[in-house]
Amino acid sequence: MIESTDSVDRAGQQPRPVNDEVVRITGLSKTFHKRGLNALDDVDMTLRHGTFTSVIGPSGCGKSTLLKIMAGLIPASSGEILLNGVEVTGPRQDIGIMFQQPTLLPWRTSLENVLLPIEIRSGSAAAQERSADALQLLELVGLGGFDQVRPFELSGGMAQRVAICRMLVTGPAILLLDEPFGALDELTREYMNVELQRICRERDATSFMVTHAIPEAVFLADQVFVMSARPGRIATIVDVDLPRPRTLDMMTTPEFGALVRRVRHELNMGIGEGGEE
Amino acid sequence: MTFKPEELAGPVEMSDAEALWYSGKWIDRVPQWVSVTVLGLAMLGIWWLIAELEFVSRILLPGPAETFEELWDTTKNIVSGGHIAEGLWITTQEVVWGFLLAAFAGFVLGVVVGETRLGKRAVMPYLVSFNALPKVAFAPVFVAWFGFGVNSKIVMATFIAFFPVIVDTAAGMLAADDDTLMLFKSMESSRWQTLRKLKLPSALPFIFAGLKTAAVFSVVGAVVGEYLGGGHGLGELIRFSAQTLRIDRVFALIVYLGVIGLLLFGLVAWAERKLLFWHKSEIFEIQGTG
Ligand SMILES: Nc1ncnc2c1ncn2[C@@H]1O[C@H](COP(=O)(O)OP(=O)(O)O)[C@@H](O)[C@H]1O
Ligand SMILES: [Mg+2]
Repeated sequence: MIESTDSVDRAGQQPRPVNDEVVRITGLSKTFHKRGLNALDDVDMTLRHGTFTSVIGPSGCGKSTLLKIMAGLIPASSGEILLNGVEVTGPRQDIGIMFQQPTLLPWRTSLENVLLPIEIRSGSAAAQERSADALQLLELVGLGGFDQVRPFELSGGMAQRVAICRMLVTGPAILLLDEPFGALDELTREYMNVELQRICRERDATSFMVTHAIPEAVFLADQVFVMSARPGRIATIVDVDLPRPRTLDMMTTPEFGALVRRVRHELNMGIGEGGEE
Repeated sequence: MTFKPEELAGPVEMSDAEALWYSGKWIDRVPQWVSVTVLGLAMLGIWWLIAELEFVSRILLPGPAETFEELWDTTKNIVSGGHIAEGLWITTQEVVWGFLLAAFAGFVLGVVVGETRLGKRAVMPYLVSFNALPKVAFAPVFVAWFGFGVNSKIVMATFIAFFPVIVDTAAGMLAADDDTLMLFKSMESSRWQTLRKLKLPSALPFIFAGLKTAAVFSVVGAVVGEYLGGGHGLGELIRFSAQTLRIDRVFALIVYLGVIGLLLFGLVAWAERKLLFWHKSEIFEIQGTG
């Protein structure tokens, strides 16, 4: 299903070394046959090591579908996804994922929740051996001392931080986040954005985050993918070259405002196009 | 889902929104044990009055005093190991066996039905329709099949108690939400692992709701079986007492039937509290009292 001419073309356009590429997607399309719905159409993208990519687009444009295909959870209709040079054909240990809801198991402690992916893949003994790493991760997200606490005692932001640890514990090459802070209140959300930036920088992570908040998209990202609906495709890429680490104060600068306006403008264009079709 | 008798007991907390509509009512200023006791005494009083005024014959409706006296005699008979003790023991065995068999079969088959496509699509509709049938009507069939002995009573108890367990267990298998199922898939969890580590624990609140209904229903099943005759259990004693117009004894024996049901129910509720410490209903309780 590789469109060889296309990949050659793209390789020609991009002079960066290939080993810098974590994810390369070419000609990815997805049709839900039951409803005859063309959810994604010919998506191409490259994610470089250590970069943060935000994806924004109208609701129903296929953001979650794209993320699930990248995670190997649902198959693509056509096209190819390479993760570290190996085609994604199903779920993989080097893919970390996180949703809008923390999806913690309420009968498990924070520590047990963080260790769940290890336990599922390699058994309880292996999970036990990794407790020190898990505790260190909890420390990293500011939850030191909360390892024996159960989810009902955690606030929404704390629960999402446990989910971050669970995503990180297998040492994934790519972090896929689907509106991870969408259910949090505004203040917690801003705080979590700063935290996520810090964690990503500390781990030198490559991240791909779906969001519906423009300032959040700009704040975290090196590049913002603006998607248009029906069929879902990446309409524009807005590069964000604000210096790092970014602070909440930067959100009031004219440069930040200009980027937000730019993304909003592209978003409106995309919605306009979608409406006409 | 199935009815939950425990919702009828225990302190009832009002939500803030509810309080908006009821605030200032005298009933909220009285401690609950007082209102419960007062209402109980009032009902006893009405009972006493109706019996005393002999609206119906004293024989058909004994008053509270005679009934409590008979309850005392019954208790003495039980403590001294008389024929009522034997009846109590027989019925208890029928109820417990009926409950255990129903719990086991209902749980295992409920998991199968809720976990398989065929079960969800083909078996579930039958279960739901069958559940709506008046199951006590099958009692004579079981007597025909299993005779007048203890077996037909156990089968009847099992039969009635089985349905709430299988229906609630099957429904519970669908309780895990989509994102968590996605998460398990992303961790390359096998079907068995997903079942054991996600679906079964998520189903526990449903399973316990079914088990609590089963605890009550197994008593119903055993007694209905005994009413058809043949045994020496409490149901048989009640039938005989009613025929000989010993209504006071009927009432006393029904109290003991209630004790069996409540003990079994309490045991299940206790196990639920131990296992579901993480569940919302329990958490509110912890926070409410703590
Ligand atoms: N399993 C599915 N079957 C059929 N249609 C689906 C399925 N999942 C998503 N869709 C449809 O695909 C489109 C994109 O969905 P989604 O990726 O969830 O959008 P977004 O996350 O951007 O809001 C929507 O129109 C949605 O209804
Ligand atoms: Mg979505």
